[in-house]
Amino acid sequence: MNRNVVLGAFFASYACTLHASANPLDAFGLGSRAAGMGSAVAADTSGFDANYYNPAGLARARGLEISIGYFRASQYLKTNGHDNDVDPVKGLVGGLVAPGTLLGVPFAFGLAIHLPDDRISRVRALRQEVPRWEMYDNRNQRLFLAANLAVSPVKWLQLGGGFSFMSSTEGKLDIGGFLNIFRAEDSQLRHQVDADLTAVRYPQLGARVELSEAVALAVVYRGEFKLKLDLSAYLHGDISHLTTAIYALDTHSVNNFLPQQLVVAGSWKLSDDLHTNLDVTWVNWGAYVPPVASLNVGLDIPPPAGGWPNGITPPTAPAPAKIEALKMNDRVVPHVGVEWRALARPTWEGFARAGYEYAKSPIGAQTGVTNYIDRDRHSMSLGLGLRALAPIAELPGDVRLDAHAQLSELVTATTRKADPADLVGDFTAGGHIWNVGATLTVGFP
Amino acid sequence: MRRAPARTRGAAACLVGVVAFVELAACASIGSPGAGDVDLPTAGAGPFRKLDGNETLGVAPFVLDDRTKAWHDPAVLPMERAGDGPAVFLYAAGTLAGKEAIVRTSALDGRSFFGSGVGTTPAVVLQADAAGEKIRAPSVVRIGSAIFLYWADGAGIRVATSDDGLSFAKRPGYALAASPATAWEKAAPGAPSVVLYPDGRIRMLYAAGGWLGEAESADGLAFTRLADAPVFGPSVAVDPATLAPGQKPPFDDARVDDPCMIPRITPAGRLHIRVLYTGTDAAGVTSIGLAARYGDTGPLARQAQPVYAIGKKERGPALFEWSGGALLYVSQDRAPTPDAHYDAIAAAFSPANLRLPPATSYADAP
Repeated sequence: MNRNVVLGAFFASYACTLHASANPLDAFGLGSRAAGMGSAVAADTSGFDANYYNPAGLARARGLEISIGYFRASQYLKTNGHDNDVDPVKGLVGGLVAPGTLLGVPFAFGLAIHLPDDRISRVRALRQEVPRWEMYDNRNQRLFLAANLAVSPVKWLQLGGGFSFMSSTEGKLDIGGFLNIFRAEDSQLRHQVDADLTAVRYPQLGARVELSEAVALAVVYRGEFKLKLDLSAYLHGDISHLTTAIYALDTHSVNNFLPQQLVVAGSWKLSDDLHTNLDVTWVNWGAYVPPVASLNVGLDIPPPAGGWPNGITPPTAPAPAKIEALKMNDRVVPHVGVEWRALARPTWEGFARAGYEYAKSPIGAQTGVTNYIDRDRHSMSLGLGLRALAPIAELPGDVRLDAHAQLSELVTATTRKADPADLVGDFTAGGHIWNVGATLTVGFP
Repeated sequence: MRRAPARTRGAAACLVGVVAFVELAACASIGSPGAGDVDLPTAGAGPFRKLDGNETLGVAPFVLDDRTKAWHDPAVLPMERAGDGPAVFLYAAGTLAGKEAIVRTSALDGRSFFGSGVGTTPAVVLQADAAGEKIRAPSVVRIGSAIFLYWADGAGIRVATSDDGLSFAKRPGYALAASPATAWEKAAPGAPSVVLYPDGRIRMLYAAGGWLGEAESADGLAFTRLADAPVFGPSVAVDPATLAPGQKPPFDDARVDDPCMIPRITPAGRLHIRVLYTGTDAAGVTSIGLAARYGDTGPLARQAQPVYAIGKKERGPALFEWSGGALLYVSQDRAPTPDAHYDAIAAAFSPANLRLPPATSYADAP
């Protein structure tokens, strides 16, 4: 493979992307090393986690690496003091980095996946006034899959990029037959379902520059992503030989949206055993599309000859709901992390890590009819790592075991409704999230 | 045979380990239905859905049903000994032996009321002295150690008191009589709803001529109107020609009646006055609506959508709240056959996305 092929593949993959994506990694990180450092690793990554944090980091890998791990984020989110039983986010994480050289230029290919335990993806189209934890309930219940390429044309520069995959849902439901409104058991209905999961892709690009042996800077871009849900239903049939009804429904919504993001990051090596990182992420939440369905309904039930039987009132088509705009603000999210090689022995090393992240809620005050609940989030994390160097003859590289624990505190605050006749009313909301996990990495020289 | 290089053997061992790890993890990972919709915030005043057959012992959604007595106008009094459970006393108006009366019954689950089962009848707590005397629209409230029962007799609002909620002594005169000086009251006050504010003040909402007014009392026996103006009235009528396709006119543009006032302190610390009421549209169709305000005085704001509307002549709401949700009781048309119609007490529940456990057995005493 020559260099032009590599670059061609990279730009081809970028060119065919449509949007960028929503995934649980924004909230809980990818891999225990990064999660333990508050996800402040864009300028300091070289493993499988580079597929998410900075694809350019893949080019720093010195050998084949295979990683696999597991994490669970248990969410204790409450409104009015009651736990809302928001689903945990949990599942396998893993990936690989395969480096090589091309005409003397280091390059690498990377794959990463987050495979949830419970569901590959979840669709929810709630009415806009139904309260929900907008950032933690549905958005993070999905698969993440990414593939990237990276090159290092000169020693002090790495460039990388690739794309991730998700699927949109399109479905059609067709029901026809005979409906007996007097004896429901005599009704005869047949139905037909036609659903498509169409692939969408979204890009990520990254660059890393080594200013010196001690300082590196990075910049990463992640594109915007819209996961659409389009459903239609068509109901037609004879009603007790009185009349013929036709009911047609079309609904369109954006079930999940990830805004574009720009990360500027730095890594400072303070000593041989200690370095610290800072990532600052701009998130374009202002472009957010709320997951509310626009609904078009057609209903045609002509009255039978002689009018409707006594006590039978035909339904009428509902008026289209007015979708309220959701005011969201762009946010700058700082992440800081530190890693200390606490123990260095000829055959093994031990690491301690810590991190902090502050994500101010982008959602405006929910004083009107909508109830997209969110709160400012402070995340504190700790991590431990153990690296065994050539532990056995069959593994001449290294084996790394990393673990993390992260506590996110969502500051409790009260929402005051402007309309006293609001059906939800004033509420307090807050809570915390425990995110724990471990990752095993095997490296080959 | 030649032995494989160490690097190859290492990679193979690694792959075997990874596969074993994934398999073990997969065995421990069984998908489950999504949650995230438990104990969501609500103002506790709807929207409601009618109870279904598994949630009542009788014909759903009816919880107090007697063709000869035609129970209507429910009012509730939470049982003190029940703590935060769904045990409740229900008062209702009806006709016994040709005279109007108010009865009391109870249910430990909020639905299975004594008197709905075969051979039982709720206890009569107040009855007209003579045929033709009106005893309607009860409201009951516990003030101190006494229980106050208010009702409308067509000329005003009267009151009786009791120590046990069963034996009431009528008080002479009116708690709130008609007032010719109050211009907006085109009819005598009726349909009282009396509550105790969190600070101990006693307030009444009442209906008069399709509007709602408010009064206050120091002792629960005599009430004084708070203002010369009503606190709530019908919606402004809308020309049907101006409505968008599918858009419905207001459900309460003819009159508002039967207030049921429920005060609370919101999680933000505000006094929140919620009022369920009967809204009647220009065609005479009734629905249950919600009006509310923050603070102890002033007009009520309207929720544009009804909180309970099933087209069965529902009216006269009463609300019972506990930690598990809120039950709405209404008078509703019961039609066991197309030609037989009478009033009965029906129930509905909020949050509408949750279900009550199956009803078990009727209460054994009223």
